[in-house]
Amino acid sequence: MSEIGTPVTRSRMQLTACAGVAASWLSATLIVAAPAHWLALTGVLLLACVPPGAAVMCWIDTGESAAQAALTLVVSLAVLALASAAMIWLSAWHPRALLALTVASVLSCAGQLRKAQSDEPA
Amino acid sequence: MSRRDLIAVRWLRAEREPAPGRQEDAYGLRGARGEPAWGELRPAAALALPLLGLCAWGYGIAGLSPAAIGAAGLLAGGSPWLVVGVLSVLCGWLLELGGHGRAWVLALATVPIVFGAPEYAWVYKHVGIASAFEHYGRVTDPASIYQQWPALFTAVGSLGALAHVSPLSLAKWAPLAFELADALVLTAVFRLLVGDRRVVSLALLLYVALVSWVGQDYLSPQAFGYLLWLGIVLIVLRWLRAPAPAGAADGRSTRLRKPLLVGLEPPPETTSAMRTIAVVLVAAIYFAIVAAHQLTPYIALAGVGALTILDLVRPRWLLVAMAAIAGSYLAVHYDLIAQQFGGLFSGANPLANASGARGTSDASSAAIATARVVDGLTGSIWLATAASVVQRRRRLGQVVIPAALAFSPFAILLAQSYGGEAIYRVYLFSAPWCALLIAVTLWELRSRLRPALMVTVSTAVLFAGLEGLYGPAAVNGFTRPELHASLWLYEHLPSGSLIVLPVGDFPALEMADYNDYDLEVLPADPQLGPAWMDEGDVRQVRSWVAGLGYRTAYVVVSRSMNAWASFYGEPRGYPKLVGELSTTMHATVVYRNQSTTIYRIGV
Repeated sequence: MSEIGTPVTRSRMQLTACAGVAASWLSATLIVAAPAHWLALTGVLLLACVPPGAAVMCWIDTGESAAQAALTLVVSLAVLALASAAMIWLSAWHPRALLALTVASVLSCAGQLRKAQSDEPA
Repeated sequence: MSRRDLIAVRWLRAEREPAPGRQEDAYGLRGARGEPAWGELRPAAALALPLLGLCAWGYGIAGLSPAAIGAAGLLAGGSPWLVVGVLSVLCGWLLELGGHGRAWVLALATVPIVFGAPEYAWVYKHVGIASAFEHYGRVTDPASIYQQWPALFTAVGSLGALAHVSPLSLAKWAPLAFELADALVLTAVFRLLVGDRRVVSLALLLYVALVSWVGQDYLSPQAFGYLLWLGIVLIVLRWLRAPAPAGAADGRSTRLRKPLLVGLEPPPETTSAMRTIAVVLVAAIYFAIVAAHQLTPYIALAGVGALTILDLVRPRWLLVAMAAIAGSYLAVHYDLIAQQFGGLFSGANPLANASGARGTSDASSAAIATARVVDGLTGSIWLATAASVVQRRRRLGQVVIPAALAFSPFAILLAQSYGGEAIYRVYLFSAPWCALLIAVTLWELRSRLRPALMVTVSTAVLFAGLEGLYGPAAVNGFTRPELHASLWLYEHLPSGSLIVLPVGDFPALEMADYNDYDLEVLPADPQLGPAWMDEGDVRQVRSWVAGLGYRTAYVVVSRSMNAWASFYGEPRGYPKLVGELSTTMHATVVYRNQSTTIYRIGV
């Protein structure tokens, strides 16, 4: 999906994928197992800002690091807002279900990293 | 293409070339080659000044209490160390701007630290909606416009539920978080339009200063929608720009548009697959905006519409798709819009729609001064932006995108006053592009006065914006005791109680079961017209409360209400009412702390 396909481009998408995997793991851990509220709060803020956006943006190169980070943030917030609103509209309010976003993010980001690895010349 | 045209095409990415034999920096501070230069000291100063500024700011904050902030506001009436801190950070930033163009993030955390509770009374209403979703997991008040546009509130509610914290914890730092997020997205957008990172930094500084006074960054659907809208702009400008017109102009509309596009940079490279993905992303993000806020989708539509009419965006049907998304959601909820805003068109008089909030004749001199500062700032900024566009009348393509985005929000004034709020939203959505155009104009000046002008404009705009933001700090900020008093109300009053506020400036409705209480504000605002009540007339107050049909009422008076009455000069009778509550009205004190007293009166 990258338009330019240069090594620099690929590394930007890989970096997004790595950030997505790390943020997903960390946010899920903090939300599920944090002993203090402020740690859990850190976890949910991380969940709101990175994993869903990284799942999308790890496949798209904006050509610029600030744009990559900005769209990761914006897409994350939009996905979180729509997912939580859908829970209200569908009368199925289970905020913990949002943790599924971290799973989806890990799968998507891992797919990107695997693809990048297989594309590398031997 | 002539040499002049070539120069024009590269304008937005231009960097000034130093004159032969000179090593001129952005400020013209260096002399001839090899001359001992201030520039060698500049990196150290650029690092030291912000650090010193932060220390001064921290020292100022540590010694400041809410009680010390009077009607003069935080800048004029607070600690001078705050001003020293902001000035020092600004100087460091300006020095850095001349070197590498990194922006220093200005601290917007003063009020949350000093007051310890979220600013603005209406934030608490938003917190209540989010708490209701968090606690009940369903729409508890179908007549509430907030619950029918729930995207932000459900997001905050779900985050609160996951972390087991109240949305109040998130609300306190929301302004800083939104400003940082906006700055990140705008950095990316500005970099697409301007190659020179120093211009981007200057534009960001001007932007932060410009929008600070309008106070739209608190925990609210519009702040959320605005951030998402900036994301849409980024996607549109990165992947959905129309290809440059090839060959001679054919068709009337193309010929009409041609003068507007002279000097337009070619769009960034993209592919058809990426365009498709970009359209999907725009549609998804736009739907989140539509589900979060009533007005933002239409300002966004005006922005995309302006770019589409100028043939700068493809596919053209993106505008139709966005209109369909907004229209579908509106159709389902139109009754509420008709109820709250009088339908889609509240009035076709743009001047009336732009009038905003009116002041009172009794407003304090501090309120009048603050209003004049922000009026002057707003007028100057729009005039400077218009001048910047006119200056490039022969190369309009260089400014057509930011100019279209800066002036398209005005379209909303043709239809809506949005309860007097429309003009502030127009300003908010216009500000980033105004800041960019002004920054580029400043940067382009070929004058020895340029450094002085840049410093003067940046400082003036920053302090005017901060005066607009912090002038009414005592009114907009709430202390912890005020918040505790509000929480006490909801924890101790029986469900169904009547709570009466002589002035609306008090934290209220922040609990999940806010709808179980009847919160009423005395109609003492002169903006209500002839029907407004004189709070100093106890008989009128008694009669009005009795008309609500309760046997008991709880009346709250607080420091923030007193600050409001002093600052805005209304309600005129507030001090008299407070004095007569326990005497003429025989009210009993049921709760008191250093900021708030709650009375019970029998009706």
